[in-house]
Amino acid sequence: MEALKEALYLNLIKDDRWQYLTEGLKNTLLITLFATLIGIGLGLLIAIVRSTYDKTGRLKILSGICKVYLTVIRGTPVVIQLMIFYYCIFTSRIFSGVFVGIIAFGLNSAAYVAEIFRSGIMSIDEGQMEAGRSLGFNYVQTMRYIIMPQAFKNVLPALCNEFVVLLKETSVAGYVAVQDLTKGGDIIRSRTYDAWTPLLIVAAIYLILTMVFSHFAGNVERSLRKNER
Amino acid sequence: MSDNVQENVQENEILIDIRDLSKSFGDLKVLTNISTTIRKGDVVCVIGPSGSGKSTFLRCLNLLEQPTGGQILVEGDDITAPGANIDQLRRKMGMVFQQFNLFPHMTILENMTLAPIKLLKKEKAQAEQEAMELLRRVGLEEKASSYPAQLSGGQKQRVAIVRALAMHPDVMLFDEPTSALDPEMVGEVLNVMRQLAKERMTMVVVTHEMGFAREVGTRVMFMEGGNFLEENEPEAFFSNPQNERLKAFLGKVL
Repeated sequence: MEALKEALYLNLIKDDRWQYLTEGLKNTLLITLFATLIGIGLGLLIAIVRSTYDKTGRLKILSGICKVYLTVIRGTPVVIQLMIFYYCIFTSRIFSGVFVGIIAFGLNSAAYVAEIFRSGIMSIDEGQMEAGRSLGFNYVQTMRYIIMPQAFKNVLPALCNEFVVLLKETSVAGYVAVQDLTKGGDIIRSRTYDAWTPLLIVAAIYLILTMVFSHFAGNVERSLRKNER
Repeated sequence: MSDNVQENVQENEILIDIRDLSKSFGDLKVLTNISTTIRKGDVVCVIGPSGSGKSTFLRCLNLLEQPTGGQILVEGDDITAPGANIDQLRRKMGMVFQQFNLFPHMTILENMTLAPIKLLKKEKAQAEQEAMELLRRVGLEEKASSYPAQLSGGQKQRVAIVRALAMHPDVMLFDEPTSALDPEMVGEVLNVMRQLAKERMTMVVVTHEMGFAREVGTRVMFMEGGNFLEENEPEAFFSNPQNERLKAFLGKVL
């Protein structure tokens, strides 16, 4: 007990080392949040392009470009992508690591979100599109008012899962000098030569974040489905 | 529902003029050179064995299937011409599907008011009032705030019919509207359609309900192999069929 107190004091209290963790947590959340926004926005666009091609044969070239994008992004490690963005593309250091992280993780997540949305769109019965069109809605209006709301509801669990995955994936942001939560723990370890305590604390913080989020997502999902039974 | 009949359309005026309509899926010819006319107030019942092209014919009329040959003129406009405004055209043609195709994420009232509000730019209150009036006529006003999943098949199909009517169409297309229903629910849907026919709504009905075709139809058409082999007014059609294949078909289903 005395040893635990000692370890906590050494790793958290002494020299205000807890600030490495709070600063890191802030960056982790910042990257995750904005990368998610990029991922959902871009992913939605890609999904609409690809499913429009699948359903109608239009947008062939755009769909082809999207396909290449998905193949490359999903076929290479996110760490490599992150380093390419940091060391090759945004080489000027007016771009902070956090900014580069947001872009890299956002573009990466978009590829996965796109496939999630696409599976959601394709899972909606063709009769829904026909019913919308037969009332006089054009393709875009039918997508917007009829297909997408249903597709979104269907893919919500998968989207939440992707958010959790992204939150954990950002732990490699330290590769490009971002001081995220994981890096914060690293710094403490390098000061205190204690590996157990900071790593377990960092792991616990990730766990709490994902558990709280999953719980929240479950509630949203239930309330969305409530009316349909 | 009588207000759905546009006053500028003269009685017996040709609503849909179908000329040499053909449709193939790849090498498979489904419809071959069909020509016929549908006049205002007609209740045209299309019967025939499955796979004969009945549904494809109906779906060509509002271009849910793109014809591969021929012309379709709706109120004089060639809807198969390049650049024809299909979305505008479909507002005038209500369609009812075998599988109902209600929007499961919306209440019944939202199902009915979505298109009038977004497309006809109706005030929400007015659209809802009209929708409630339509629901009352089919005995479903207490279901307005329910979701489709909470309705029986017959109720869903009645909602699907009034959802189409809310757009004030000039013609209603029915694609086997009772085929997915339990037998005890067929009657309630046919009653609504019977009522519509009484109100002089122009209807094209693909159906297996011979009794309905005989009683309500103004004209019955027999399709097989992608063509209409016989058409007549119902009494003569059923009591004195000429075509051998129609005789055989009626012998099996009646």
